[in-house]
Amino acid sequence: MTALLTTSVGSFPKPDYLLRARTKASKGDLSQEGLRALEEKATAEWIQFQEQIGIDIPVDGEQYRGDMATYFAENIDGTEISGLVRSYGNRYYKKPVIVDELRRKGPISVDWFKFAQARTERPVKGMITGPYTMMDWSFDEFYGSREEACLAFAKLLHQEALSLEAAGAKIVQVDEPALSTRFDELPLLVKAVGTVTKGLRAKTILHTCYGNYNEIFEFFNKLPVDQLDLEMSNSGLDLLERFKREPLKKEIAFGVVDVHSHVIEPESLIRERIEKALTIFEPGKLYIDPDCGLKTRSVEEAQAKLRNMVAATQAVRKAHRLT
Amino acid sequence: MVRTTVVGNYPRVGDTFEEQSLRRAIARFDKGEIGADDLQGAEQEVVKAVLREQNDAGIDVVTDGQISWYDSQSHIARGLASVEINGLARYFDTNTYYRQPVVQGPVAWKEPILADEWKFARANSKAAVKAVLTGPLTLASLALDKHYHNKKRLTLDLANALGEEASALVRAGAAHIQVDEPILTRHPEELPLAVEGLERIRGRKGSAALTLFSYFGEVSKIYEELVEGPADVIGLDLVQGAATWPAIAKHGAKKPLVLGLVDARNTKKEDPAEVAKKVLDLKDRIDLKKSFLAPSNGLEFLPRARAREKLRILSTAARKVGVAA
Repeated sequence: MTALLTTSVGSFPKPDYLLRARTKASKGDLSQEGLRALEEKATAEWIQFQEQIGIDIPVDGEQYRGDMATYFAENIDGTEISGLVRSYGNRYYKKPVIVDELRRKGPISVDWFKFAQARTERPVKGMITGPYTMMDWSFDEFYGSREEACLAFAKLLHQEALSLEAAGAKIVQVDEPALSTRFDELPLLVKAVGTVTKGLRAKTILHTCYGNYNEIFEFFNKLPVDQLDLEMSNSGLDLLERFKREPLKKEIAFGVVDVHSHVIEPESLIRERIEKALTIFEPGKLYIDPDCGLKTRSVEEAQAKLRNMVAATQAVRKAHRLT
Repeated sequence: MVRTTVVGNYPRVGDTFEEQSLRRAIARFDKGEIGADDLQGAEQEVVKAVLREQNDAGIDVVTDGQISWYDSQSHIARGLASVEINGLARYFDTNTYYRQPVVQGPVAWKEPILADEWKFARANSKAAVKAVLTGPLTLASLALDKHYHNKKRLTLDLANALGEEASALVRAGAAHIQVDEPILTRHPEELPLAVEGLERIRGRKGSAALTLFSYFGEVSKIYEELVEGPADVIGLDLVQGAATWPAIAKHGAKKPLVLGLVDARNTKKEDPAEVAKKVLDLKDRIDLKKSFLAPSNGLEFLPRARAREKLRILSTAARKVGVAA
């Protein structure tokens, strides 16, 4: 039985040479081809790193993305990109603006999936920014209805999911960090994610983070995916008791390292977290990963966190005689 | 015929190099390259620019844009005794975050928090400047309470502290004080506690006009009690809270209202004529001369250039109300 497979949520930090190249490209001092070559170099390095430390299900690391919503929007007809708005503190981002009917120009992330998958025998995740998050994080000057905009995104993201599957993706992850934004819209989220995952043979995952999970708990089993990927360590593992009382009928990817902290969790602490998870979840249905994308950490911090995560998982597997 | 105002925050950066001076200054401050005085200087330059943009658009009662506020909760909370500031938490249904205040002991006012900021803004604005306080119920609801374990006691102690702050603002010369209670759109059943808190602030505000503003949703179920409460003026989000509209149309209001009719969370531009028409629909229900037209909440959720356009939409709509009336 395969048990406690290790993976990542999606993003990794960009190495300094790529950050410098992105700044140059934004000023017009570096061609798009030049930038692409460095994005490929960084992606190949991250795949190699994940292989080296023994991650079972690698990700492409999203070296080509700025923001997860704007990257998708830039590749969808009917959108523009806004000026800067503040996220918190001194961090700003640009938001998609829906200005016309949403239509898929062509594959959005498929080329990058193929590029990453060609460099490893292990199954690379296909990654889609979910329809609810795309809607919630966009300004809407066209539809005038959150539901209409959300379902329009869902329809075209379903095509993207099919393209990823056709390109060989065995696993498709839908990222919905906005999931717990408005509790009254959870039925809309279920409907939209269901539209994206409909008829897929690939294993489907829904990732979310930063939520008041207790409020949305009863929706977990209604989500039309095979696996839930949850931030667990930043929320103090307090959800475990609830899972004990109300079992999850799906696989779970269990976040064991905090992506917002510079502190490198020692292997022993991660082992404790995995052991706690094992008291609730079957090892075959339990996946181990960081809480969220690691892109806000430095390359060194991200790599150290992943190394400790894999080492801790291997130690737990050994202790429990899991292969 | 109807005056214009804003709700509070305003985009601190824009898309031009000049409009990103504060972003650069904060980055340099974080690296230790400039000191606190330099950072304050950079903030004050942006405050002046934000006041100029509101003055140029003809807004009648402006704010300092809350340019020095890290967020809506921690800026005031960090100035109070027994409050520490923790990690990030999501702020309502916005895709933005605030640093969560953690209450470690009895909350108390220590010294003025906003008075110097208000005085600076007043000295640099042609129009009246409103002081904005985060409401005690919202502060209590979004904080982590490790001391009281009792929301009512925490809310009322916060209200006492905010009353002291209101008093300091009045001494500094503020004639308009606004208390923001967006939590009422999520928990309308807590209105009695909000009212009790507001009464304590009212007791310290002297002759200043006290506005209670709720945003990010509707308050139709508590509308009648809200307008009978201790505030002199009631501010309403009528975009995300459009469902409050029928209550105003039905019951009217004896007090002036702030009509948050211009969408501060979406870039789509309103037609000023349509906004004016909506305001005029209420001309027999409320005293338009004493009321205000406003964005639905703070303009910070928009790009700076679009926030400027929304200010112009406000003043154009207000002029059309005047002409039509």
